Amino acid sequence: MDLKKKWFKFVAVIFIPALIFGISASALAAEVKVGALNDVTGATSDVGKDYALGIADAIRYVNDNGGINGKPIKLYQFDYGYRIPEALTKYKLFKRLGCVAVLGWGTGDTEALSPTVTQDKMPYVSASYSAHLTNPAKTPYNLFAATDYSTNARATITAWYDTRWKKNPEFGKRKPKFVCSYHFAYPYCSAPIKAIKDQAELLGFEVGPDQNVSLVAIDTKSQVLAMKDYGADLVWHGNTTMSVSATVRDAFALGLKAEHIVNCWGFDENLVKLAGKAAEGVFGAPRCAFFGENVKNMDKVVEYAKKYNPGVPLENRTTHTVAAWANTLALWEAMKRADKAGDLTGEGILKKGFETIRDFDIGLGVQPLNYTSTDHRTAGKVSIYEIKNGKFQVVELVDLKSRWPEKWGKEWLGW
Amino acid sequence: MSTTWLPCGDYHQSYREDHAWFQTRFIKGKMILLGLVLFIFIPLMGETYSLSVCNQIGYTVLGALGVQLLIGFCGQVTLGHAAFIAVGAYTSTLLILEFPWPQFILDIGLAYPISIFIAAVTAGLWSVLFGLPSARVKGFYLILTTMAAQFITVEFIITQYVSQIGGRGQAFSLPPGTIKIGPWVIDSDLKVYYMMIVLTSLCIIGLANLLRSRAGRAWVAIRDNDISAEVMGINVIKYKLLAFFVAGFIGGVAGAFWISNLAAISPEHFQWFWSLWLVGVILIGGVGSIHGAVFGSIFMVVVMELLQLAVIPLADEYPKLLMDFLFVKEAAFGLAICVFMIFEPYGLAYRWWQVKNYFNLWPFSYR
Repeated sequence: MDLKKKWFKFVAVIFIPALIFGISASALAAEVKVGALNDVTGATSDVGKDYALGIADAIRYVNDNGGINGKPIKLYQFDYGYRIPEALTKYKLFKRLGCVAVLGWGTGDTEALSPTVTQDKMPYVSASYSAHLTNPAKTPYNLFAATDYSTNARATITAWYDTRWKKNPEFGKRKPKFVCSYHFAYPYCSAPIKAIKDQAELLGFEVGPDQNVSLVAIDTKSQVLAMKDYGADLVWHGNTTMSVSATVRDAFALGLKAEHIVNCWGFDENLVKLAGKAAEGVFGAPRCAFFGENVKNMDKVVEYAKKYNPGVPLENRTTHTVAAWANTLALWEAMKRADKAGDLTGEGILKKGFETIRDFDIGLGVQPLNYTSTDHRTAGKVSIYEIKNGKFQVVELVDLKSRWPEKWGKEWLGW
Repeated sequence: MSTTWLPCGDYHQSYREDHAWFQTRFIKGKMILLGLVLFIFIPLMGETYSLSVCNQIGYTVLGALGVQLLIGFCGQVTLGHAAFIAVGAYTSTLLILEFPWPQFILDIGLAYPISIFIAAVTAGLWSVLFGLPSARVKGFYLILTTMAAQFITVEFIITQYVSQIGGRGQAFSLPPGTIKIGPWVIDSDLKVYYMMIVLTSLCIIGLANLLRSRAGRAWVAIRDNDISAEVMGINVIKYKLLAFFVAGFIGGVAGAFWISNLAAISPEHFQWFWSLWLVGVILIGGVGSIHGAVFGSIFMVVVMELLQLAVIPLADEYPKLLMDFLFVKEAAFGLAICVFMIFEPYGLAYRWWQVKNYFNLWPFSYR
């Protein structure tokens, strides 16, 4: 009986104060609440962990530098394990807690939530750079501080065509053969498929059969053999680093002659470590600088990584931390502008914040940001990198907007 | 006979009296009060958050009822019930988003109600398909065949094919306002609550009635001893399949209902863990009791919500708690099952029965 009483007391002492604080948490004012959804344990956790660390570091930096015009940001950061239902539940929680904006993650949940965030007028800055989220006529409250997957894919295939295919002895004699390798069932992977195939046809490629490669694949030999049978010259990889490295390694081992171009979540420092020699010559558009690269504001990223996560060695940090900083700094700028205009609401953050941003340079190797009420694509220029001797080197700055102004302006928005 | 309390002994003179829903005025009064609380008091007093918690409880009850029928009443252990809920949810979603309904059906807001019924029947039939092995196998082997339902239905058919309908995807987006019943657009937690309470009440009443019927008695006989049941002349296979159909039907209703509360539907809503969770719900609530499904659902949902409320302020000191909450939740689920299996093996329904008996006999109960 005594034991029971003690146990009851213990539970009461721990939980009741916590509950009271929990229920009254929303009553605490003078701080701006922001929700964050991250994947540190799910199918995209290979890249999600580093992004999550970056979000936490960047918010600390924002708070150390005055927050939103003096008001600190209170961050509610949850792991949702890349499960869409969990994302929907947590989004409801963010609303209940009074968050004014959300830093989201995956394409599936971001696109699925898009109509709801539009109705709720909740700015949703995601790590999903799906072009389907760039047309404000359809998805006004979805934003991100990077060039979208489709723009990146178009630019990367164009850079490969300019720098590699034009020098190939077969150039002019036959069409280059192109294959896409990605996990069909995941919206992130399939987001730019239509755009990249459109660009491939525009440049005169022959498009072969898509290869379904799991996001958590460790053996991709059957898919690589299918690419080999087709005689692919170029393969686009739409998965994240673990899966892409497995495919690139298998391609190297099986003697696939094709070259590789990779979407941003598969093109990072870990690709070099995991694929080694097989990663040589791989092209990609990382959408921001690599960790520690000599660009504006990188010193802060490195400083905060050292200060707050000393347990994670700097050589293990990746470009995804930088991408998280970029999204957070863009949201910070928008919130400061909205607050200055006296309207720190969801609608204010969009209209008086984001949509007033023109050619805003946040550094970190991100192209200057632009958001208008008719176009949420941040830039038309994309830096393309290549892995040479285990290092990332800039190959070309592809300016899609100048090269195809008609298509950029009228055709390519929103897909 | 007293109109308030039942006398000691059995004075019923007909089956009608014996099986009457409300045997005394007091019971009738209690049920009217419960109705008032559920249909008037909670919607009036509850704010959005508490209504959304109620909706989650309702969804869990609808899911757990089918599991309770199969495991608790018919003795057919299932670990694949989420598959039948998924069939209901996807059937209803596809009917709403893709089916070319005649304009008048859309105008009078009948598309969703019709889709709920079709979804329930489809899920019921799908459940029968995976119930067929129960004719030959039972126990541990049946668990594995029901798990096959989960993997074949959700991981393969829905993920690879069904969710790709209508182009690129995996998640069908259901913008607020897509779902309409008659003139009411289901776009708020309050409207979802009303729908939930009506559907849950109908399913509970329907199942409770079935359990009082010939079919119900046959299920219990099969659960207690299938060989004896067969000797008594019960067509064991027919009644097992009927149990699978009814469980799948209610699961289909659960799935079709739940889409009204979601911004999007994806295969991840119906992972194997949800099937396991529902079994946990009836173990905690009490196996072989409709009350058990309800109490277990309330307990699991409310405990998880309280846990979340408790974790948020603690996160100021321990920020990793929020990031790890997904696992805190799963660990709490495991712990709850262990605790109940050890200290309350008959579940919350048994405790409820004890409390009721105590008050029925109060103040002259034997101690």
